[in-house]
Amino acid sequence: MNGRPEQFAAQPNELLVERLRDGLGLTGTKVGCDTGQCGTCVVRLDGRSVKSCLVLTASAAGGEVATIEGETTRGGELSGLQEALRQEHGTQCGFCTPGMVMALGELVENAADREAPTEPEIREWLTGNLCRCTGYHSVVRGVQRACATARSAAGQEV
Amino acid sequence: MTAVTGEAPATGSGVLGQPLDSREDPQLLRGEATYVADIDLPRTAHMAILGSPVAHAKILSIETKAAEQLPGVLKVATAADFTDVMPLPCIWIPGGVESHFPPHPYGLPGARPVLTGDTVRHVGDPIAVVVAETPRQATAALAAIAVEYEPLPVVTRADEALAEGAPQLHEAVPGNLNAYWTCGDKDRTDAAIAEAEVTVELDLVNQRTINSPIEPRGAVGDYDAATGEYTLYASTQGPHNHRFLLSALVLGIPFNKLRVIAPTVGGSFGTKGYLYPDMALVLLLSKALGRPVKWVDTRTGLMNSTVQGRDHRQHVTLAGTRDGRITAVRCTSYANLGAYPSTIGPGVATALMGRSISGMYDIGAAFCEVYAAFTNTVSLGAQRGSGRAEAAFLMERLVDRYASEIGMDPAAVRRKNLVPKEKFPYDNGLGWTYDSGNYQLNFDRAIELSGYADMPARKAEARTRGKRLGVGLATYVAICGVGPSTRMSQEGMLGGTWESANIRVHPTGEVTVIVGSASTGQSHGTVFAQVAADELGIDPATVQVLEGDTQKAPYGQGTYGSRSYSMAAPAVALTARKIKSKLIRAGAVFLGIPEDKVVYEGGGVHEEGNEKNAKTFAELAMSMWYGWGLPAEIEPALDETTHFDPPDFNYPFGTHVAVVEIDELTGETEVVSYTAVDDAGHIGNPKIVLGQIEGSITHGLGQALMEAAVYDEQGLLVSSDLTTYALPRAADVPFFTLDKTVTPSPHNPLGAKGAGEIATVPPAAAVVNAVVDALSDLGVQHIDMPLTPEKVWRRLRGEAQ
Repeated sequence: MNGRPEQFAAQPNELLVERLRDGLGLTGTKVGCDTGQCGTCVVRLDGRSVKSCLVLTASAAGGEVATIEGETTRGGELSGLQEALRQEHGTQCGFCTPGMVMALGELVENAADREAPTEPEIREWLTGNLCRCTGYHSVVRGVQRACATARSAAGQEV
Repeated sequence: MTAVTGEAPATGSGVLGQPLDSREDPQLLRGEATYVADIDLPRTAHMAILGSPVAHAKILSIETKAAEQLPGVLKVATAADFTDVMPLPCIWIPGGVESHFPPHPYGLPGARPVLTGDTVRHVGDPIAVVVAETPRQATAALAAIAVEYEPLPVVTRADEALAEGAPQLHEAVPGNLNAYWTCGDKDRTDAAIAEAEVTVELDLVNQRTINSPIEPRGAVGDYDAATGEYTLYASTQGPHNHRFLLSALVLGIPFNKLRVIAPTVGGSFGTKGYLYPDMALVLLLSKALGRPVKWVDTRTGLMNSTVQGRDHRQHVTLAGTRDGRITAVRCTSYANLGAYPSTIGPGVATALMGRSISGMYDIGAAFCEVYAAFTNTVSLGAQRGSGRAEAAFLMERLVDRYASEIGMDPAAVRRKNLVPKEKFPYDNGLGWTYDSGNYQLNFDRAIELSGYADMPARKAEARTRGKRLGVGLATYVAICGVGPSTRMSQEGMLGGTWESANIRVHPTGEVTVIVGSASTGQSHGTVFAQVAADELGIDPATVQVLEGDTQKAPYGQGTYGSRSYSMAAPAVALTARKIKSKLIRAGAVFLGIPEDKVVYEGGGVHEEGNEKNAKTFAELAMSMWYGWGLPAEIEPALDETTHFDPPDFNYPFGTHVAVVEIDELTGETEVVSYTAVDDAGHIGNPKIVLGQIEGSITHGLGQALMEAAVYDEQGLLVSSDLTTYALPRAADVPFFTLDKTVTPSPHNPLGAKGAGEIATVPPAAAVVNAVVDALSDLGVQHIDMPLTPEKVWRRLRGEAQ
């Protein structure tokens, strides 16, 4: 769990999001719907983003789970993606934000090693996360900025 | 380019109007903000609500014993447990008409009980609650409550509810008619229509939609037996309103025994300003159990309990000359209030809609009548752009229909009828007096920026790709800045609608601003700090902003109708001016000079012509804290408050242009470009307003293209989760082309107009106009929203609506 071992007994029907929020107090991961649609509960399981309301805790046993709490220390410096989203004001009420940060991580992390993602690619990447405040535009700009910064830092053409 | 038509207000430190980064963002980005569901008080018990599975029925019996015996269950309660609790009142009754409501004591128009005991009136109507040790135990126990129903006939449409023989919802409301409300001049309008060279008519359905903030609602009640005080943590956009309504009108407890706290709120768009049964229930059950009681809604629960929006069926008529001069507009609307009058739903469905129908046009005669009816659906309330969006939709559809009828370009018709600049303040004949505007400048800018002149060529090019391109215009005026309390009382609003701000300057020179408003994602902490810093000439980083807790700000009204920047921010500015004025008076004492020689600059004071005889802001703050040497007429310390009640509303406006492409094969509509030029007067933080404009447009596009609350014949909400209710996703929208004009409002010291939700008002009309334009050669004159691919595909193949 965010790089640290956690040991506990999970009920067979316990959802990963319940374990994170109620069992471990990691409330950065949110619950916004009952159907796996909204994306506020996205975390990374073994490096891939998953909706933690659709994962049984037991099935994640032995896996590596990363949540928003693992992105930065409390009050600490923002990650490249978070910083880019801050500069583009890619948040309003913030409820969908942790899920978006976790969903977009993969895209931004690989940005330095590949072509910069196109706007349609970024939008496609975001389709699993609902936002009602921003209409996504500032989030898309934030990802573009984060990818550009990552590529620039790696000496790539922006 | 930004077209400016007014002078900027005098500024101090110059931070107002700057796109400062939101200070709220880092915490949100790290997932560290606390929403209601994240609140974890010691010994908290968890509440679940049993909602009715049927839309209309008599309750014959409720059996709770089996549920009470389940593991972890602490209490099961029904209406019988709360007979001394008053129903949740409606406080916006359409003004000037006879209204019918279910009763409430105190002579108020009542509304719904906290739990329904005799008759359920919509799916989700709360019947019973369970409190248990864990949320899962509480939810599981709901299934063990046995309720026996005697089904009653169901009606879900306003027009059908008013027909003879329709099922009756409330004994006190004959024929289901809450109110017949009118505005404008009927005789003049009827005459103008009768005499007109051209008339056009449309039957419109402004479909019911669900606001869908991504955070569901939630509430935590905490009763302190030692003090008799209640604390409510709730996802609310108006903690002060909820305190007023709950303490005085529902629980019957003293005002100062209830504290309401809005933690971080995950979006609202109108829905979280309403009073809901759960808010009262967690408080009552906390008292009964001696423990905090927490309730967090599910998405399906939200969709079956939280106020829904729009929902008008309208017959509308426009009259004009053959050469494009509009002479009259008339609207008959059937508004669906749902099963119970929500806190302000009846006012939204009448005044907010009806008085806005003439939009940016100078029309000689206008009239609107609304039949507001009760049906077996979730209560109606506000929704981003509420009332104004419905008004703009009907008017802008009519203008296109009229332009097509007389064979004139829709832009030319609009241009010809805009209220001229010299006519402000402008009485629109429907009850609103527009404060200021330069509509021509705004309209021309949108036409130019959208490349409107190139559309014929783009249409021809699209055809070569199997696409039909259409362009749609929509203009709007949105009444904002609620409001002038006396004026709102004439509209039937119970209670003042002013806004408050307090500023304290601490001895070390830091400043705390406390406002009665409450953010639901609008970065109030950033913007109000800018306002105070600008007025005082200090660094905004030294300004702290507190809100959202009735114990921090004694009074206030909250955030709704895009009012915070034109209501709370002026209160902040005026309070800062009081501070400044006191510092000038005290400065004269400290500097030993006459008051008219004191110059206030950069937060400090100095003697005119002698900058060495000076005191900095921090020095002044400390001196005022000590209070040494102050004459009797100057009180020590710096602590000022303002209650701002404006002389009138403010009226932002704008022009939007949608360009769509329809796939001939699939009927799919894609918004390929969208241009919006909005005018919200002087803006405090353009970065924050930009986000609100973009989100608002996307919300409006959602109504046009995909969103609909669908009830079946039994009154079941079919679209009750996010697999069946479609919200726009990132791939559904392009980047928009945005600009602004700036026409300050004379009704507040910042020249501000409402901004947050105004761009939600025209997109539905713009998109439907664009789609009808694309299909016009097929004889299509109107399509009801949402414009799903199937619906458009059928029209492409010549099927009637």
